[in-house]
Amino acid sequence: MQTRSSGKIQRVAHRHEPEVSKQTGYPSAATHYMEAPIDLNKELVHNKDATFFVRMEGNEWSKLGIHSGDVLIIDRSFSPRKHQLVLAVEEGAFTLQRMPEASPHELCLWGVVTYVIKKVV
Amino acid sequence: MIAMVDCNSFYASCEQVFRPDLWGKPVVVLSNNDGCVIAANKEAKALTDIPMFEPVFKIKDVLVKNNVKFFSSNYTLYGEMSQRVMNLLGTFSPQVEVYSIDEAFVNLEGMDHLDLHHYGMQMKETIFQYLGLPVGVGIASTKVLAKLANKIAKKKPEHNHVYVMDTETKRIAALKWAKIGDIWGIGGKHAKRLKSIGVFTGYDFTQLPLSWVRKEMTVVGERLWREMHGESCLDFRTLPKKKKAIGTAKSFGQKLEDLERIEEACAYYISEVAEVLRAQKSCASYVQVFVITNYHSKVDQQYSKSMVATMPIPTNNTFALITEARRVLRQIYKPGYRYKKVGVNLCGIIPQEYVQGNLFEQPPHTQNPNLIKVVDALNMKYGKSTVASAMIGTRINEWELIKKERSPRYTTQWGELLKVGGSELTIKSPIF
Repeated sequence: MQTRSSGKIQRVAHRHEPEVSKQTGYPSAATHYMEAPIDLNKELVHNKDATFFVRMEGNEWSKLGIHSGDVLIIDRSFSPRKHQLVLAVEEGAFTLQRMPEASPHELCLWGVVTYVIKKVV
Repeated sequence: MIAMVDCNSFYASCEQVFRPDLWGKPVVVLSNNDGCVIAANKEAKALTDIPMFEPVFKIKDVLVKNNVKFFSSNYTLYGEMSQRVMNLLGTFSPQVEVYSIDEAFVNLEGMDHLDLHHYGMQMKETIFQYLGLPVGVGIASTKVLAKLANKIAKKKPEHNHVYVMDTETKRIAALKWAKIGDIWGIGGKHAKRLKSIGVFTGYDFTQLPLSWVRKEMTVVGERLWREMHGESCLDFRTLPKKKKAIGTAKSFGQKLEDLERIEEACAYYISEVAEVLRAQKSCASYVQVFVITNYHSKVDQQYSKSMVATMPIPTNNTFALITEARRVLRQIYKPGYRYKKVGVNLCGIIPQEYVQGNLFEQPPHTQNPNLIKVVDALNMKYGKSTVASAMIGTRINEWELIKKERSPRYTTQWGELLKVGGSELTIKSPIF
């Protein structure tokens, strides 16, 4: 049980979690190998202040492997390289496309797609 | 040097980021209960017949006729976008003072070796690229001058939204350009008085003797005068001042007669303000409640009344505050009137750790603090009023009121993400 000491008085800190004790028997072999668990926010979001999530509707982009309901992670801090998947704006509407090698027209970029999240269950 | 960065028509710009169909089109944002226009972008401002702060019902025809897109205010979105702007500014300086939801002072002390114009451009371009929000940057030696530089950046198109006031000539030219009422810190009353003695521009003001300014406008005026001379007097504050009083009042969607319904609205507003109180770790000593009928109406009987109650012990506990507010409301409520508005104010605000108990009661934060913590945590995670006092009743949406035109909370709710695609779009042939 965790205790909190305030001066000479020790009181029990209430926690609403199951109480799991530290290993009380044989010392763990993993003691010196503990690491923080994987945090998707850290792995998938490079610059959180420039990152937006976007949900796709319809199957217009199934050729690009993107289907209705997929969530795209868009990072606006990236400068797109050719062939990268980008969210752009054409005639006032969003469109998804590969970054062309040489822009035939001025491409109005909204952000670079960094990951696609698919729900499969 | 100090930079003043502010977002151009912030609320409308936030809406436009996610709506490319509205780029370059007039957009306005309405106040909390869709009562008035509180923000307009430059396209909407160009249609000069849209008066700001006018009740919407009076100007709806003008909005529709001019094809102005109007949104209910989406403070969740604006607050989150504002946080991002401030975070980005934090990458340019270790010290950023958030002045309001869309303005900040950035301390550039010790960065004189940089090309400050270029640095200001970088701030502007980064925020526009990362967030899609246009900003203006004014850089000068003091806060008051930075604020003025910002105005110049915005008003004079040749500066392209970034202006550095780095020479004496520029300072004097700017002060001569600025009308006295436009100087940050000179209110309407002082402006009127100064004009009456022949002070029309900022420059005129700096030519007044300091002794006169100190005598007539106190130390506040003196600081202003010194700041305008380029002597920095206003500190960088990175911690906000705690609020002295917190209140809210919103008009009902329709007029209400029924005490029970008004009580529910009152309880809802108390929960809102108590949350603010807890966020700043304070307690309120008094609670004020007022009711008012619709003074625009010519046929209704008019009545309004306000009353203050003292809390037995200063508290920030929603439930204790609701109980007290309800008692007050029952005293001021008179049947037979059609009420337009109920409002609450919490005053006598003191830091939570200074609250004294009395013989009969303990200070509130020692009584069952976990319940209210859980309530706050749930509401933070699942959205406003997910869990609330049953006194609020089931008509929460009515108290949040006509938010018909509110945009999705794109950045905070998984269920309201920006949607891309759908049938109305034409298929673009992708280039591989």
